[in-house]
Amino acid sequence: MILQQVILGLRDGSLFALVAIGLVILFKTTGLLNFAYGSMGMFAAYIVFTFVVFVSTPLWLAVIIGMAFAVALGLTAERFLLRPIRHLSRSALLIITLGMLMILEGLALQIWKQDYRQLPPLVTGRPMIIRFSDIFLVIPQQDILIFWITGFTVLGIFLYLKYTKMGLAIRATAQKEEAARLMGIRVNTVYAFSWGLAAGLSALAAVLAAPRTQIHPSMMIDLQIHGLIAAVLGGFESIPGAIVGGLLLGIIEQLVGSYISVELKLTFALVVVIIVLLIKPAGILGKTSRRRV
Amino acid sequence: MLELQNIQVRYGYMVALKDVSLKVGTNTVTALLGANGAGKSTTLRTISGLNRAYRGKIELDTGEKKEIQNIEPSKIVNMGIVLTPEGRQIFPELTVHENLLAGAYTVKSKSQVKQSTEEVFSLFPVLNERRKQLGGTLSGGEQQMLAIGRSLMASPNLLMLDEPSLGLAPKIVEQIFDILIKLKSQGKTIFLVEQNANLALHICDYAYILEVGNVTLEGDGQTLLRNESVQKKYLGG
Repeated sequence: MILQQVILGLRDGSLFALVAIGLVILFKTTGLLNFAYGSMGMFAAYIVFTFVVFVSTPLWLAVIIGMAFAVALGLTAERFLLRPIRHLSRSALLIITLGMLMILEGLALQIWKQDYRQLPPLVTGRPMIIRFSDIFLVIPQQDILIFWITGFTVLGIFLYLKYTKMGLAIRATAQKEEAARLMGIRVNTVYAFSWGLAAGLSALAAVLAAPRTQIHPSMMIDLQIHGLIAAVLGGFESIPGAIVGGLLLGIIEQLVGSYISVELKLTFALVVVIIVLLIKPAGILGKTSRRRV
Repeated sequence: MLELQNIQVRYGYMVALKDVSLKVGTNTVTALLGANGAGKSTTLRTISGLNRAYRGKIELDTGEKKEIQNIEPSKIVNMGIVLTPEGRQIFPELTVHENLLAGAYTVKSKSQVKQSTEEVFSLFPVLNERRKQLGGTLSGGEQQMLAIGRSLMASPNLLMLDEPSLGLAPKIVEQIFDILIKLKSQGKTIFLVEQNANLALHICDYAYILEVGNVTLEGDGQTLLRNESVQKKYLGG
């Protein structure tokens, strides 16, 4: 029974982890928490929907178009919204991203109206069935795909950061921005790259979540909150932390949902997070405060 | 190589440099000395493009003359001017080797990077021993060596060092200065900011003394060592 809940938890958790990774990468490099993170993905999901339904594009192609759109959106936001005002305080930038969230939601509402839109799952086919003595666990192919995609994305990001010149520049900038500039690293390029990457990840998460959440202007709010909690749980500056945090949050929620109360699952999950943070204030894999200045 | 003309720098309403003019000659070691808060670091940071010059100009002469004030740091590095910042500023969670690679960010050719790495390792053998260790785990002296090595990775025409002796044990300071002497004998152009006036004056060809945002005295190292007011203020009588 517990094992069953854990498997279901991992299923939710890998999506939380995917969202958390994008938030963490952006925070690590730019020092900014992006409120509009989920909205960029939401907008991309609408783009995918539009291409599939009105242009009859094959789903995989539409997903690529949607992600490319999100990356462009991220780059544009960084270049024309954030970069000109980067000298302002962190909180001013935070408000800008909140404004972006509202603009994107408002635009989506104007363009695609209020109806919930459907996006078919990326993969269909016989679900995986796991049997525990007398209980059967049915896991749709889409959920298994989410698990794989999260895994490969994480691996890809890890390898990129570790072995490429741009990856080195990103890590250097995240650790000591001024020193990075003195090495000739263009911080603008690093920022733009992080924004593009985060937006792409958000789009990926939105498309994967869409069959379950449907597409609507606030489809990503719930996921973004969970991603944020997962990131906090993991220490907020650590990608492995974000993954552990996401999976753990998924499991905690499932357990709370099945043993205590479904309505209160987020509440209880948050209580658990608070307890974890009381014990380990820097998060599970976080390091004690080394603040960016 | 480099000439500052009437440079003024402000932080808000506070004037950090009032009117600084100085020259750094090719293949020489030029020192900039002064007390805390005199504006030494500000001078280097302004050359690097980290601070803006409010007035004045900075001229770089490498065959042709160019004005380079208020240009962004990455372009300054591309012109061959590299700063080893105060407090070393190494990347704590990159390995020693990765720190060096970051220093070679502007270098395109891979064989060039390899060659520079070997040069740095032969200059600082301890870095080779610690190449896989994280930068943050090194001792203060090793971090300073790494910081200098990292700057050398870009094969700079002009190497600027901000307080390389700061916070280090006398023995380590000696080692660092031995390295500077070695670099000098290789014909590197060095612009050195130091609080340790005694050491700096002994190795430099020419020196400037900065007091609250103005150059008040200049001359070659030996002359300044014998100067009475320098002795009183900076060499402990």
